Formats: sequence, C-alpha cells, structure tokens
Amino acid sequence: MSAILLIVIPLLAAFLSILVKKYSANILLVVSFASVVLLNYIPLEVITIGGFAAPYGINLILDQYSLIALYAVNVLFFLVVAINCAKFKKLSSILLVALAGLNGMILTGDLFNLFVFMEVSGIAAYLMTTTNQKPLATFNYLVQGTVGSSLYLLGLILLYAMFGTLNMQDMAFQISSSGYHIAVTAFPFLLMFIGFGVEAKLLPFNSWVQGILGSSNRLTGPMIASVYAAAIGFVLGRLLTELFVFEGTLLLIVTAILGFSIVAGEAMAFGAKKVREILLFSSIAQAALVALVFLSGFTGLAALLLIANTAGKLILFLITNTATDQLGNDDISTLQGLFVNNKVVGVSFTVAVLNVLGLPMFFGFVLKMNILLEFFQTDHLLWPAVILIVSVVEGIYFIRLLLKLWFKESDLPQVEFEFTLKYVVVVVAALLILFGVYTAPVEQAADDLTAIQYIEGGNL
Amino acid sequence: MLQYAAIVLIMLGLYGILTKRNVIKIIVSLNILEIGLNLFIVSVGFVDGGLAPIFTSQNATNDLNFVDPLPQALVLTAIVIGVGTTALGLAIAKTIYAKYGTFNLDEMGEK
Repeated sequence: MSAILLIVIPLLAAFLSILVKKYSANILLVVSFASVVLLNYIPLEVITIGGFAAPYGINLILDQYSLIALYAVNVLFFLVVAINCAKFKKLSSILLVALAGLNGMILTGDLFNLFVFMEVSGIAAYLMTTTNQKPLATFNYLVQGTVGSSLYLLGLILLYAMFGTLNMQDMAFQISSSGYHIAVTAFPFLLMFIGFGVEAKLLPFNSWVQGILGSSNRLTGPMIASVYAAAIGFVLGRLLTELFVFEGTLLLIVTAILGFSIVAGEAMAFGAKKVREILLFSSIAQAALVALVFLSGFTGLAALLLIANTAGKLILFLITNTATDQLGNDDISTLQGLFVNNKVVGVSFTVAVLNVLGLPMFFGFVLKMNILLEFFQTDHLLWPAVILIVSVVEGIYFIRLLLKLWFKESDLPQVEFEFTLKYVVVVVAALLILFGVYTAPVEQAADDLTAIQYIEGGNL
Repeated sequence: MLQYAAIVLIMLGLYGILTKRNVIKIIVSLNILEIGLNLFIVSVGFVDGGLAPIFTSQNATNDLNFVDPLPQALVLTAIVIGVGTTALGLAIAKTIYAKYGTFNLDEMGEK
C-alpha cells in the first residue's frame, strides 16, 4: 500500500465514472470511503515518483503532519459526499477529481507539483460552484483564483531561478545555506503567500468568498468552507513552517495582513444580517487565526485548531444551507425559531457554534487555551489580547444568532432534516464535546506534531 | 531582455483584469497574463548560445552548453492548465450571457 493510491484511485475513478454515468454516484461514495479506510493501511514514508530521487524528481511526503491532514480532509469529504451524492449525481466525476487534487496537494513535496494540484482542485471547485446558479460569482472566483495561482507560480519560478530546485525541503535547505540576505527571497515569498491568500480566504484577497459562500448550496457550502479550507490551511501551514522565511519588514506585512483579516472578518460577521454571511465572515477570521498560529510556530495546535474549525463549519453550513434550500432565503428573520421543532439539529448547531467560540467543555476551548498559554510563554501579549477581544465580539453575534434560532412563539419555519444529515451532525458534534472533555490525546497530538516538524529555513 | 517583455505582458494582463468591465475582455487579459508568465518561465532556462538539451551522436557529453530543460517542461504543464481555465471561463461567460443578456459587468445590475 502506498500513499500514491490516494491520488491515483480517485483520478482513475473519475475517468471511469464518465464511462458508466449511471453508477457514478456509487463510485464516488465507494472511492471516498475507500480513501478513508486506505489511510489506516499506508505506512509513513517518502515516495519517489518515476525513479528519480529528490530533489530531481517529485516526491510525496507522508509524515505525521500530512497523515492528520489527509484524515481530516478525507473524512470531511466523505461526510459531505455521503449527504449530497444522490442530489448532485452530475458532479460525481468533478468531485472525484477534487478529491485527487486535494490529496495530492497535501502529499506533494514539490512546489510546482503543488501548483498543479492546486489548479486541479481549483478547477473542480469552480465547476462545483456553478451549481449555486450564480455564474457571475463563479466567474469572479475563477478570475481571482487564476490570478492567485499565477502569482504563486511567478514567485515559485523566481525561487527556482535563484536556487535551482523545486523540492520543498531542498529549497529550504538551499535558502538557509546560501547565506543570502533576507530581502532577496522576500519578494517571491510574498508573491507565493498572496497566491495562497486568495485560496485561503485571507483579506484583502478574498472578495470571491461572499459571492460563493453567500449563495452556496448544501454541497458547495460545506465543501468550500470545510473541506477545501482544511486542505488549503494544512498546505499553507506546511509552507509557513518549512519553507517561508518571514523576518523583519516582511514578517510585519504578513502579520498585519493576518491581523487585519481576523479583526475585519469578525467585524463584518458582527454586522451581517444573513446567517450564511455571518458564517462566511467568521470563517475568514478563523482561517487567518490558524495561519497566524502556524506563523508563530505552534504547528500542532494550529493543525488541531484547523480541524476543530472546519469540523464545526461542516455542521454549521450543512444545517444552514439545508434550511435555506427549503425556506428560500437565509435572512435571520426567516430562519428565526428554526430549532424549536428540530431540537437534535439545534443542539448540534449550538455545539458547533460554542466550539468555534472556544467555550469550556468543547474541543475549541482546549486549543484556544493552549494557544494563549503558548503566546504568554513566549512573551507575546498583543496576539492574546486580539484573540480574546475578537472572541468577545464573536460571542456576541453568535449568541445573538443562537437566541434567534432557538426562540419564537408562533409561525415557526418548517424544515425537514433527513436522517443522514442528522446522524452526521450529531456524531461530529459528539466528537467535538468528547475531545473537549477528554483532553489528554489532544495535547499529546499537538506536542507530537510540533516535535516531528522537519525545519530548515522555517520560522521556528 | 526577454524577461522585460514577459513582465510587461504580465502587467498588461493585470491591468486588463483590473480595468475591463467586459467578461470576454477579462478572459483575454487573463490569457495575456498567463502568456507573459509562461514566457517568463521559459526565459529563466534560456542560455545564450545554448544547445537543445538532447543527447545525440554529435552532442554526447554533459560538458556542452545546454539550456535548462526543466522550465520548458513546467511551461507545457502551465499552458495546459491555462487552456483548461480559459475554456471553463468561456463556458461560464456563456452562462452569464444566457442569464443577463450582456457581457458587460456594469449592465448586469448584480454584485
């Protein structure tokens, strides 16, 4: 068993599913489940492709970090697909290509290969978002995504021209051993960071998010906000810890971008009047927070925070978009009283919200608390202050939203949630509580992840 | 010299994307940006007076002044990806036209 199967099987199945259209949804379901199962049987290793040893050939890196990333992405992907595959049969081939692209993006150890997988999964995402029936928003997403990846490619080629390699580890090694001044690599790194910023929803490169997630359906909402966000976050984390060298003014620019994303994201969520807009603006802020924690060097905690956030977003977007599909719009006034008759779904939604907020008893709390502790231990006081203040703002608008959704006297909205959806959201919510109470494995996993990072030219 | 031409093309493409209000013109600008980028990548591997990087009976040694073949391979991939995005962009442009009856972003009356 080799990790390359995680890319090859979905890709092959994508072509097969075009030939046997009738069974394409079944193929999608089986393959996405098989990838999750397969993860249990592949050993941690570095795979050389085509017989050319790295740095000359492409290699796939399956270490502890990418294994956790693969688990998160594949499990989330399977859950989204399991709920939606019957309704979106036409998209089966595209979803399989997306799975191959996302797995490849996480596994690859080659910077150009990463660009290719980014484009593969990007094109699949553009195609998926056409089901929102908002072609203008999709077009906007396509143009911004393409410009972003072009900037990434430009930065990458500049680095190649300087150091003559495309392999991530070799590049990091060459950069640290070259003795060049930090300013030499600043421009390409900034280009690559901006390129990733478009996909990772960092302000000010993310104007596509509102059009796409604000009019998303049950497939695209959870897929973009949860599955794609997890994959991009993990890849950005790897680049931030292993490759990028941000120091001096460049570090200031990057942290300013991230800080601005966090504050502005929360402020916009606070002012939003629609449920999906609240969720999408808050996910912008959280994506930036995760990137900030990665940048500060707390790799393990950042990875787990990313999982906590994306799992929470899965529940939130699934429930909101199901209700929106049936009620016609997602104004808070329309959805008011939604959970009065749907208590099970309501409790799961509440758990996801409280987890995102970081209240005690939930997974998010353990992580946020440890992140704050780490910041205090390294004598950083600005970021804990920012995190705590935005948490209060987050608390205000989320609790306000929960109160609206739980309480209404009469004229309740009628929404049917099917069994599969209820099952998925309840299980994910239960896990969020479980790891919030039973914290030992979480802290252990965070320590392990930070310890195994291969660092050469990184920030730590 | 080639690099400057490539950078000018990239800038032209960016300018077009930022200023044009017509969907088709934006796609054309995107293509200009990609062509500039591809040209830039090829120019990185260029060696003045270099040979094509192929071993033949005449050129059977590594000491010769070969050009770097890797950027050429990268450009091939980048071109294919560019064609894919352009095709998809045009397909979406067609849907936009079917929905709004115009290619002009200002006349669509939607954000």
